[in-house]
Amino acid sequence: MLDKIELAEKNYKVEFDAVNNLESIEELRIKYLGRKGIFTELFEEFKQLPKDEKPKYGQVLNKAKSFAQKEYDELKSKLEKSESEKKENIDLTLDGRNVELGSKHVLTQTLDEIKQIFKGLGFSIYEGPELESDHNNFEMLNFPADHPARDMQDTFFINDNFLLRTHTSPVQVRLMENNKPPIRALMPGKVYRNEAISAKSYCLFHQVEGLYVDEDVTFAELKGTLVVFLKQFFGEDVKYRFRPSFFPFTEPSAEVDVWWQPKGKEGRWLEILGCGMVDPNVLENVKIDNEKYVGYAFGMGVERIAMLKYGIGDIRVFFDNDKRFLKQF
Amino acid sequence: MKLSLNWLKQYIDLDGISTEDVVENLTTAGLEVDDVIDQKKLYNNFIVGYVKERENHPNADKLSLCKVEVGSEIFPIVCGAPNVKAGQKIVLAKVGAVIPNSDFTIAKAKIRGEESMGMICSERELGISDNHDGIMVLDSEIKSGTDFSDVFGFNDVIIDIDITPNRADAFSHIGSTRDLAAIFGRKLKLPEISLTETEEEINAIASIEIENDIDCPRYVAKVVKNVTIKESPKWLTDRLTSIGLRPINNVVDVTNFILYEIGQPLHAFDLDKLAGNKIIVRSAGKDEKFITLDSKERKLLETDLLICDAEKPVAIAGVMGGENSEVTTSTKNILIESAYFRPSSIRKTSKKLGLQTDASIRFERGCDVNITLYAAQRAAQLISELGNGEIVKGEIDIYPNKISLKEVSLRISRIKKILGFEITIPKIKEIFSGLEFEIVSETNEILTYLIPTFRHDIEREIDLIEEIARIYGYDNIPEIAKIGVSVERRVDNSSFNDKVRETLAGLGFYEIITNSLLNVELASKYGNPIGVLNPQSFEMSHIRPSLFPGMLATISRNIKVNEKNLKLYEIGHVITKFNDVISDFSDFEETEHLLFAITGNANEDEWYSKKRETDFYDLKGLASSFFKSVTDKSRIKVKYNQSLGEGMFEYSICNLIGKNTFAEGGKVKAEVLKEFGISQNVFAFDINLTELKKIEVELNRFTELLKFPKIKKDCAFVLDSNIDYNAVVKIIESSNSNLLKNVKLFDIFESESLGSNKKSLAFELTYFNENKTLTEEEVDKEFWKAIESVKTKLNAELRG
Repeated sequence: MLDKIELAEKNYKVEFDAVNNLESIEELRIKYLGRKGIFTELFEEFKQLPKDEKPKYGQVLNKAKSFAQKEYDELKSKLEKSESEKKENIDLTLDGRNVELGSKHVLTQTLDEIKQIFKGLGFSIYEGPELESDHNNFEMLNFPADHPARDMQDTFFINDNFLLRTHTSPVQVRLMENNKPPIRALMPGKVYRNEAISAKSYCLFHQVEGLYVDEDVTFAELKGTLVVFLKQFFGEDVKYRFRPSFFPFTEPSAEVDVWWQPKGKEGRWLEILGCGMVDPNVLENVKIDNEKYVGYAFGMGVERIAMLKYGIGDIRVFFDNDKRFLKQF
Repeated sequence: MKLSLNWLKQYIDLDGISTEDVVENLTTAGLEVDDVIDQKKLYNNFIVGYVKERENHPNADKLSLCKVEVGSEIFPIVCGAPNVKAGQKIVLAKVGAVIPNSDFTIAKAKIRGEESMGMICSERELGISDNHDGIMVLDSEIKSGTDFSDVFGFNDVIIDIDITPNRADAFSHIGSTRDLAAIFGRKLKLPEISLTETEEEINAIASIEIENDIDCPRYVAKVVKNVTIKESPKWLTDRLTSIGLRPINNVVDVTNFILYEIGQPLHAFDLDKLAGNKIIVRSAGKDEKFITLDSKERKLLETDLLICDAEKPVAIAGVMGGENSEVTTSTKNILIESAYFRPSSIRKTSKKLGLQTDASIRFERGCDVNITLYAAQRAAQLISELGNGEIVKGEIDIYPNKISLKEVSLRISRIKKILGFEITIPKIKEIFSGLEFEIVSETNEILTYLIPTFRHDIEREIDLIEEIARIYGYDNIPEIAKIGVSVERRVDNSSFNDKVRETLAGLGFYEIITNSLLNVELASKYGNPIGVLNPQSFEMSHIRPSLFPGMLATISRNIKVNEKNLKLYEIGHVITKFNDVISDFSDFEETEHLLFAITGNANEDEWYSKKRETDFYDLKGLASSFFKSVTDKSRIKVKYNQSLGEGMFEYSICNLIGKNTFAEGGKVKAEVLKEFGISQNVFAFDINLTELKKIEVELNRFTELLKFPKIKKDCAFVLDSNIDYNAVVKIIESSNSNLLKNVKLFDIFESESLGSNKKSLAFELTYFNENKTLTEEEVDKEFWKAIESVKTKLNAELRG
């Protein structure tokens, strides 16, 4: 019996030394430690021994088996570890499988940013048609026929009564005609101007207008609200000025300039939006009591703001839609 | 309009006020300053020098070496002018000087080996004439070291301002100065009139008659006799040239000067050319013609106002005079017209003739009816002074219906309601008195003002409030950021499109924005477009009835720059007319569309996959994901169009809501693409967003997660190859109970081995019951029912 144990132990050591992978160690385990393995069989044999012989072999057998078991456990975990390290032969530097994402046009992105700020200030968003009546685009907004103010907006006419809207203000008219104050809305959309296409002007552009009509709206609040916008959009330290201007549909009217300081060049004031208190005539036209209610309105061009923000010098690139341009934003 | 600061100073004392302050305050008063040219700065480093020595350049025949003395300094200068001599006084541009009208800066240089520390200037180089024959030689009396700008009196500052249409009153030096006077609290000084008149009465030598006193409310005439027509003196030509006007002769220059001085347009007639020495103001006759000063024949309408003599028209009122009564060198006697015309009448004529003049632009915005006499007298005085003329006694002043001054009241409480801050009554009164508004009555609550006739823009209380804000200064008005909670219902018209854009970006599409104006030929191929009455060009005469032309042009342009693999979309309005005459919104339809298109390769050769061309199934899959993301897809029906005669597509699928087709997508016909020079396949989907938005998407309620197992069964059929996949699916679905939850095609196989015109379609059928575990028997029963049904109805065989 003792010989058998020693032989088993010796053979185990020899075979153990030859093991070099998970497969052969499993074979080794089955051969020596499995249900019908050599050590298991030796234990069976041991059970048959007379009672007085048992102490003689028990200790030796136990020691041999636990030694084998310990050797096996250690080597197996070592092999498993090296196996897992070895198995994935991955080139981490290779490009991943391509998933091309698209994007919104940079004008849409700019508009979204403007919308976001005013939505946060409680503004709703309304849209309206591009082919408008002269009535909604001019008459209702206090541009009388034969008035020099009409020269301010070169217009594409369809006929005497219809035109391509020159601003999104007709949406204000539609809104005020169909709603009671308080009205607080932002109105984005395409507008058209009959101007030759050049680096500086295009026959259409995107405008966003805002309108707020309520009982206690003031010019000071208009200023405050627009300053919040300027700071959120251009940064806390934006330098700006409000100066008097003229629009038929607002009185008093103002234009807002921001100080633009390109690197290494001379800075200058750039006009970025027009605004004012809704002219009482406009409120009267839409049948809102202009004694009780006061409103303010403002408007800005998305292209102009996007050109400033992204350093784009030619308005035409927005409408060329070159993919190399689209991909940049 | 250009303002000369020196000129402006004739009417206001600007002592202690810097040019910067003047510029700043013009802008804050609403007269936005576009540009400022400081002549002194322009001639910085241009200085009078004395040519002490001159000798020939050792290495160049045509060059001279000069030593120019400026004060105690001596500069070596290489000069190329033939006329340079020792002993001359010249203008030296020192190192650092910038040559006017150019970007050229004088630098220290070595010319043919000799050092040069500046340049001796010609008149052209100084920007004062075109003469470049040689250097400019100055009077020897002028001291060397004097600034060149002082020699010629170039010490003005020219301020270019923008005048908004409401501020006709500011369209002159005095008009603009009035705002400065109000802001700085200084007095506006008008030039005084002092006339020396002859014994002869004006009524004896001329007469005026107004036939149309609606369009011509007032007409003032003065006569100056025996005038010598000649060049104007330097002070006058300087004034005119400083603001970019060309001097002509003393009479015309005076009328131009007064126009820019006080804003009243004047006209000088040669009295001897006026038949009957008479002026008649009347409307033009039907088809009447007239030759204006610019030698063009103008056709007139009955709404145009004419100035005539006893026989013929001599001017188009307020717009332009005629050749036939022009002041020439032989003119002796002058009739000065100083009139007030109705603004909208002048505007109509000027617009129709396409003729805008310094006069018409002022008349159409509104001149001052009460300045007419003053302007005529000032003109008479200046013409007589400059042309040794005799002013005839008195004036003719036809003013039948006096325009009375408007009274406007201002409630003090209203100022706070509109502007949001309090302003004291004394401050208000100070502002208005500065603007020459006369107070009529006042209480603690209400101030009533008389509005001067030069302020056509002030008619209502709100206009007075605007004046307060303007002169008080917008920058001084507080900024109240009252970020309140909005209690009104919040609406966002754009939220659906926001979702559309986000979905498409996620699906790999780039957004494009194209021109909505197209040429008529192109636009008509895609619908029934509306034309623009006054297009910029033939290429942009019609409003797009479809997004296709813009998309295809964009694809074409990108392919040309080698961007061939494209996934693009545009959202925009399209307009189709129903009637040729657009008189109402029902005569046309404006809808919002989305067009997305794919072309080129879906993917290029990569280490993990082979190159593959985009095809119809890419489009269909993208459309499916799109609809699933933005709407309730179950509400959308599909129609298949295998081959189309008309339209954009070779084949297409349509999407319907009820019976209404709102979307169509497919393969764009090659002949359509050819017009855009595109030779690769394009697949596109055109969706009417206005319609799509109408689908009401119900709130998606939570469905319990499945607790019981799904059972999947596979089968494959051999069918005639012309049988659609969809037909098979329909038969499988109709043969089974609702235990069948999904039918998926997982393989298509076509081979001769199946027989000719045969194909094999392999399906995976998924079964489950939400309430219990299905047994194999239950599923098999359904599964075989499906197989039998397909076999009999489609004459199919079960494969394998």
